[in-house]
Amino acid sequence: MQKLIELASDVAALWGKYHSSYLTGIRNTLILAVVATVIGCLIGFVCGILNTIPHSKTDPPLKRFFLALIRVLVRIYVEVFRGTPMVLQAVFIFYGLPYFTDNSVQFSGLQGIWTAAILVVSINTGAYMAESVRGGIISIDPGQTEGAMAIGMTHVQTMLHVVLPQALRNILPQIGNNFIINLKDTSVMFIIGFTEFFATHKSVAGATFQYFPSAALEMVGYLCMTLVASFLLRWLEKRLDGDSSYELVQEDPLTMTAGTYKHPDKGSNFDERSKEYDGKEAR
Amino acid sequence: MGETILQINHLSKAFGANVVLRDIDFTVEKGDVTSIIGASGSGKSTLLRCINLLETPTSGEILYHNQNVAGRKVKAAEYRSHVGMVFQSFNLFNNMTVLENCMVGQIKVLKKHKDEARQSALYYLQKVGMAPYINAKPRQISGGQKQRVAIARALAMEPEVLLFDEPTSALDPEMVGEVLTVMQKLAQEGMTMLVVTHEMAFARDVSTRVVYMNQGVICEQGTPEAIFGNPQRQETRDFLSRFRQQ
Repeated sequence: MQKLIELASDVAALWGKYHSSYLTGIRNTLILAVVATVIGCLIGFVCGILNTIPHSKTDPPLKRFFLALIRVLVRIYVEVFRGTPMVLQAVFIFYGLPYFTDNSVQFSGLQGIWTAAILVVSINTGAYMAESVRGGIISIDPGQTEGAMAIGMTHVQTMLHVVLPQALRNILPQIGNNFIINLKDTSVMFIIGFTEFFATHKSVAGATFQYFPSAALEMVGYLCMTLVASFLLRWLEKRLDGDSSYELVQEDPLTMTAGTYKHPDKGSNFDERSKEYDGKEAR
Repeated sequence: MGETILQINHLSKAFGANVVLRDIDFTVEKGDVTSIIGASGSGKSTLLRCINLLETPTSGEILYHNQNVAGRKVKAAEYRSHVGMVFQSFNLFNNMTVLENCMVGQIKVLKKHKDEARQSALYYLQKVGMAPYINAKPRQISGGQKQRVAIARALAMEPEVLLFDEPTSALDPEMVGEVLTVMQKLAQEGMTMLVVTHEMAFARDVSTRVVYMNQGVICEQGTPEAIFGNPQRQETRDFLSRFRQQ
């Protein structure tokens, strides 16, 4: 108990002295996570759509070649960026691009660091989202696509207006997952000097040697961010589902209750055993 | 009597080694209400899906106003907007309300203005008795109601011919009537219809022509009186007698 009170006072002291640094860290983490998740989702959607363009053996060879090429490229992208650590990807892009382009592409200054960080996290998120989107599209009943095609919609129209809105709803939990992972995993961006929340910890702890109190503060900070994110995502899901009730405009004249379409005396047109029928086709 | 809308020549369809349709010849004229009957697996639905290019025919041609639409995929979407289709499983767009279901095709495909699309959607929903439900989502209405909305959605595109793929097979018995009533009304108004159905009474009383399919070929076709009253082929007689015994 004594220790806990000590910790609390240490944390309070740290916060009192360095709260502006911590808040800047939180702000940068949030901005990076939100922007990169949004861009990552867009990349994921584009890859998911490219991956699910219908192709058949009757297509002209050139079209088949291009579609196959697209699928291979998307596949390589997904496997490479899903299969390597983000911290290494950051190093590769931050130092690799200038290296390969003889410094004509450089990430210099604060702006450069931001660009590189957003780029790396977005590309990484995109690789995960590409698979989620593909799964989301596959999960939609093919009947939806057929219904849209039957009224003359093109593949793009079908995707935009029918399949993707439903797929988006289905993969929203996945997007939430990715967002929360991004909130935490942006911490590896300290490797390229990005000052997010965890980088603040490193600099504060380095200056004060209060490693544990600072880490405790960070834990609480990250947990608060992810809890708020979870809450907002749940709320968004509920909102997208819409109201479960609807309003009738007036009465429906055509609805018939059970049995009424089969008139007892005459037998309706659609009654398999109407009296006329039995009379004519007597066995 | 009327002009020929669709002419199908030597149409065949195989799924791998499994030949589902063999050398089908068939025409649809304006105002025809054609019922396609036959046992399950006789190729009825596949024929309908080939006509709407949801399946690519293996060989043969589909002439729409003397233009072959099979094989060249370029104009498939444009052609489909003239040929409406009503599915066994409704296939309403789950992310849209009843009204939006009937508007989206008009706006995106026919490029109509939103107000005009709304007007015509309401007209057709009224026709199928679903006008009160315009704000409902598909998951909130019954099967029969869904199918009526699906019919309105197809009608709103003002197609030249409407294809029905077993429109009542997925419905509970008490809902079959409301859908058939709507279809009968359409038939009386002169809509050109091609109906794959197991409702023999509908085939007999509403259609102007009945096609009996057996094992991927058209076994017999003619007026309902001829097919039901005096079937020529033994297969047809066997099929119809199975239905009567039920």
